[in-house]
Amino acid sequence: MIKKAVILAAGEGKRLKPYTETMPKVMIPVANKPIVEYVIDSVFKSGIEEIILIVGYRKETVMEYLREKENITYVTQDKQLGTAHALLYARDYIDEPFIILAGDNIIDDKSVSRLIHSESKFSLMIKEHPLPSKYGVVFLKDNKVERIVEKPLEIESKFISTGIYKFPPMIFDEIEKLTSHGIYDLTSVLQKLISQGIEVDTIVAERWMDIVYPWDILYVNGEMIHDISSSISGSIEKNVTLKGNVSIGRDSRVYAGSYIQGPVVIGEGCEIGPNVCIYPSTVIGDNVVVNSFSEIRNSVIMDEVHIGSNASISNSVIGKGSIINSHFSIISGKAKMEVEGEFKELENIGAIIGEDCDISSHVAIEPGRIIGRRCSIDSFKRVIKDIPSEMKVM
Amino acid sequence: MKCVVLAAGEGRRMHPLTFTRPKVMLPVSNKPILEWNLLDAIDAGLEEFIFIVGYKSESVREYFGDGKRWNVKIEYVNQGEPLGTAHAIGMVESFVDEFIVLCGDTIFGREDIKKVVERGNSIGLTKVDDAREYGVVELSGNKVVRIHEKMEKPLSNLINAGLYHFDRSIFDFIKKTDRSPRGEYEITDSINMFTREYNMEGVLLKEWRDVVYPWHLLDVNEELLRKMKGDIKGRVEENVVLKGEVTIGEGSRVMSGSYIEGPVVIGRDCKIGPNCYIRPYTSIGDNCHIGNACEVKNSIVMSNSNIPHQNYVGDSIIGSNCNLGAGTKIANLRFDKKNIKVSLNGRKLDTGRRKLGVVMSDNVQTGINAMINVGTMIGNNVFIGPGTIANGEIKPYAKIM
Amino acid sequence: MCGIFGYTGFRNARNVILDCLKKLDYRGYDSAGIGVINKDELKIFKEIGELGLLEKKLPPIDVNIGIGHTRWATHGEVSIKNAHPQVSCNGDIAVVHNGIIENFKKLKEELEEKGHRFISQTDTEVIVHLIEESYKDSLKDAVFSMIKKIKGSYALAVLSTSEPDIIVGARQESPLVVGIGDNENFLTSDITALLKYTNRVIYLEDGEICVLSKNSVDIFNWNGKKIEKEIHIVDWNVEAAEKGGFPHFMLKEIYEQPHSLHQTLRGRISEIERSISFEDKVESLLDSYPKVVSIVACGTSFYAGMIGKYMIEQLSGIPTFLELASEYRYFGVRDKTSLVVAITQSGETADTLGALREAKNSGCNTMVITNVIGSTATRIADAFILTRSGPEIGVAATKTFTSQIVVLFLLALKLSRKTINPDELSRYLSHLRELPRNVRMVLERSEEILKVAEKIKDSKSVFFIGRGVNYPLSLEGALKLKEISYIHAEGFPAGELKHGPFALLTEKTPVIAIVTMDKTYDKMIANIGEVKARHSPVIAIANEKDSEIEKYADYVIRFPSDSNILSCIPIAVILQLLAYHTANLRGCEIDKPRNLAKSVTVE
Repeated sequence: MIKKAVILAAGEGKRLKPYTETMPKVMIPVANKPIVEYVIDSVFKSGIEEIILIVGYRKETVMEYLREKENITYVTQDKQLGTAHALLYARDYIDEPFIILAGDNIIDDKSVSRLIHSESKFSLMIKEHPLPSKYGVVFLKDNKVERIVEKPLEIESKFISTGIYKFPPMIFDEIEKLTSHGIYDLTSVLQKLISQGIEVDTIVAERWMDIVYPWDILYVNGEMIHDISSSISGSIEKNVTLKGNVSIGRDSRVYAGSYIQGPVVIGEGCEIGPNVCIYPSTVIGDNVVVNSFSEIRNSVIMDEVHIGSNASISNSVIGKGSIINSHFSIISGKAKMEVEGEFKELENIGAIIGEDCDISSHVAIEPGRIIGRRCSIDSFKRVIKDIPSEMKVM
Repeated sequence: MKCVVLAAGEGRRMHPLTFTRPKVMLPVSNKPILEWNLLDAIDAGLEEFIFIVGYKSESVREYFGDGKRWNVKIEYVNQGEPLGTAHAIGMVESFVDEFIVLCGDTIFGREDIKKVVERGNSIGLTKVDDAREYGVVELSGNKVVRIHEKMEKPLSNLINAGLYHFDRSIFDFIKKTDRSPRGEYEITDSINMFTREYNMEGVLLKEWRDVVYPWHLLDVNEELLRKMKGDIKGRVEENVVLKGEVTIGEGSRVMSGSYIEGPVVIGRDCKIGPNCYIRPYTSIGDNCHIGNACEVKNSIVMSNSNIPHQNYVGDSIIGSNCNLGAGTKIANLRFDKKNIKVSLNGRKLDTGRRKLGVVMSDNVQTGINAMINVGTMIGNNVFIGPGTIANGEIKPYAKIM
Repeated sequence: MCGIFGYTGFRNARNVILDCLKKLDYRGYDSAGIGVINKDELKIFKEIGELGLLEKKLPPIDVNIGIGHTRWATHGEVSIKNAHPQVSCNGDIAVVHNGIIENFKKLKEELEEKGHRFISQTDTEVIVHLIEESYKDSLKDAVFSMIKKIKGSYALAVLSTSEPDIIVGARQESPLVVGIGDNENFLTSDITALLKYTNRVIYLEDGEICVLSKNSVDIFNWNGKKIEKEIHIVDWNVEAAEKGGFPHFMLKEIYEQPHSLHQTLRGRISEIERSISFEDKVESLLDSYPKVVSIVACGTSFYAGMIGKYMIEQLSGIPTFLELASEYRYFGVRDKTSLVVAITQSGETADTLGALREAKNSGCNTMVITNVIGSTATRIADAFILTRSGPEIGVAATKTFTSQIVVLFLLALKLSRKTINPDELSRYLSHLRELPRNVRMVLERSEEILKVAEKIKDSKSVFFIGRGVNYPLSLEGALKLKEISYIHAEGFPAGELKHGPFALLTEKTPVIAIVTMDKTYDKMIANIGEVKARHSPVIAIANEKDSEIEKYADYVIRFPSDSNILSCIPIAVILQLLAYHTANLRGCEIDKPRNLAKSVTVE
């Protein structure tokens, strides 16, 4: 019986800046829970008893959030060199077959369960993906892995590697040998083993989601909140209209005249309204205040955000703790986004705003702008370019 | 021989009703499920009971006390942590010799309990339509070979009913039992070890009813009420119409104009009427007030609750200490007459029922003319304001104004 | 603080007591012991150090009655002889005790004259010999006659082989609770120890004695009369306190502050409605406008109280007195129009409870700010406000300190209804909302604070200076540094340095100056200049917006804040991290500093 799982949670996730400037990728919230919590919940539900969590970058945010969860051992990876290198840190804690997962991809518990209960000693979980070229593409022969090619030029397979494996404990010796030769990632380790004749079985994942760029936060949130059905807590005043699946957390208050059309998730301790409109698919975190006459559509608003009155927000992500004054507008539309030297064209995107920003009143933002963390924007400004973190726009 | 009753579970799938009481204390036909089992066990000849309690144990103790009311002896053991059935049963080692174990939240029949009492080491079995969620029992003749938990493709549809006869030898196996994949110590694992060395007989039961979700209580309520014989102890005024089997408890008063179509059971010290309409398969607890122009049908109303003026309650479960404001009505049928789906613990479930009103936990208050939509699940201590519509799943302490 | 536990019932007493003593772990202890009755014989097992060591010493015996103890030494050194249970000469009676017997010396002399042999240096030992001396045929009567002779505070559990089925307990000014089970009963000084097994408790009051058997609990008042007491059902959950990957509880609790601050504010403020609301009892106390407010507290809570005094006077103009709880009974204001606010994290601090009782008896309105639901303080005061920070395991107070300040600020706002207009209130509320964010930003700068800690870790003395509300912060900063890194540190009002302490300044004594951009700013800069003239390195804790401070200080640690009055919160976090990093660099035992206990229930 496989009882232990290693979850890699040490990576920074550079392409998810500005959010990953203060938190590791695994802590990016989806429907108000950090990604890693989904992984942990699926893993425990599938029958695993103990998790070894490899942490590194900004590990305090992970440890603080998970402080009440039991049966998790934390191991710090000093330098983030690669997935195989990270796995090696778990060596002292495991001497039996185990599974290893990435902490930053959402996976369902049934798939994990099938991986655990499969017959073979070596397994890889794979997934069909429309754009396999972005990942490690897996080529199969008789349902076993033939080879994995990172970002291939020609695509003949529609399967990608999810980064979820089942290994016997001898894998640690193999990894030791290979890391001393400068090979640090698990894909290469697996390829080497296959070339040595080892059979690697495959399991197709049911539900697997990855967030690579900041706008993926919007899409993945939209997917996940379809699962959550109506659940009302807190205080709802008179003349509030709730339509469709709306989830409102404890101690939150929705004031009169507000119109909320689901699927919408609102966290705990929030104050919404009066006369606020929230449209699908929107996720609002904990302790958020939205003042009257504001409108939020298809956006992710993280914890502690403060939104003044008459704000118009759509297709956007607003980072934790940002304070936005009245008459704020985000203009949605077509835009070319740039992240870490990569370019992407999006059809209908609003703004990506980092944590702890201070945005004065009457600010307007053109489509697709990325605003870093702790930025400060004076009133009546029109933002037409990206703003790097900690910048003041006056 | 002592009868050990497992009564420690919360019963999460019974939310919102189990926010304030353990599953075994949910009433059907005005008696908690546990009491029905107690009565059947008493009829089967058992006189000494040990209740293994845990979650909200005070509600069990308050109701059953030391068993004097039924002329039996009831003792309690606190399980402490919900670590599974084997852990629970292991607690009574110093209290028993040969004993029966009964799952308090499943309803058994007295003949079946008697059968199991009369056999030696045995386990009660029953047949179900879909065995995937249960423990399927593999037999060889009538001897138990193995119990298989939650099979995707069940061997048969013969399952573990949750009624056992053990002797002291089981305790050694309980001590050797390891944690199951879901982290608990399960008696079925102990039994699987036991059957390798000793014999355990499988006994097919005739009556067996388990309740998983709150609306199942309505089904059991109906079944029990069908068997009930009317008994009027309270005061019935003139111009009251009673049809079919109606039970009215001591101290209750039924006022003129009330029209009661049995089978209906009404508890003690209730005030019914005037001019109310109570329709079949309705259970009303103690100290309730069903007032003027109210209609209640196919529902369970727990003690100390008031449906006092111009209310409609149909196919619903109302917790204790609830108060419906004047004019509060509960919808129980969709316009398109499709099955009613509810939101429970954040998940959508198809109840399989065409009619379902509200499932309301304790201490809920509604204002005047409040409207409750079909399949609404309301947690304890919720306030639904005047003229507001309640929908979906409403968590405890929420206020809809 | 010692923890005591007693069990009699159907379970294995050895296992139950060990399990429950582990839950008392957080109170801090230097030794532990268990006494059980096995086949009419009293068996005692004691060990110094961790509970795990005691566990190794304990054989797997089958017993159904016993008492247990975790000891924090007050009288007598840490040793096995001094650990509890203490035993009588004939080896038949065992006692575990939490508290201090004030007249034990005289009693010891008298007993020695009568022939009793003492083996420990503890005050507790007189208790067991007194019981032995007056024992005739009833343990309960012997305990009764014993308590008439002793003076002081105690929570005790007594076992005797002559009556091997009962435990006798007694309480005087030290918490003791009876847990009611089925076929078992419990006795403990701390409810968290037994919540796993039962949620029915009886709170004992001073002077009461209880006799527990497997199936019965009898309670007697100080007159010897049997009384009926209410059984309370504890419906709050024990929050698990795990380190969760952090190397120390204290660090975890420092990092928890953004969350704990939210919890303290939850449901109490509404920005949209511009309102602050507490529970009903608190509201009605505040509605009767007090003419005078008196704050009583000890230790770090006292410093929170000093900050509270500043806030209440600044915002509402109501004169506020501040009294150290241990001094209150000798001084303090007693007035029916005064509101006495006690601050105690645990709700069990003996000095603070004493002050509360005094205040109540004098007819004052009493309120307590505490973190522990169901604590003694909440049952004495007219009303209580919970800080809701979650259990604090580290001995040095961190998140409870910042939560206490927030509660005091809310109180100050409430009391200033007549003096503040809605716009001002609205600004204060939004500043409150920003607190978790400001703390988070300080936490993200932990590395910078570590660098400063490296600079001060080898100092023999460190001084903290501040003015106005920063003066109590300087006291707190010094206390934190002292508590966990054992470096001598002192806090001064910046203006006081020249009246003496200047003489201590050398180039080896770093001075930490807390500088906020308000009316104290200019004078603080001048003070920094004076310090630098004596060649001491100056580390300034300054606002991010302060662009001048670099010119004056050698190092600057910055905090973000738009509010001068609430900047004390991010500053407090800086001081906590500074103390933590310094202590860590020096290899100190951070969660259980030497000689300190989490909750001081002795006087």
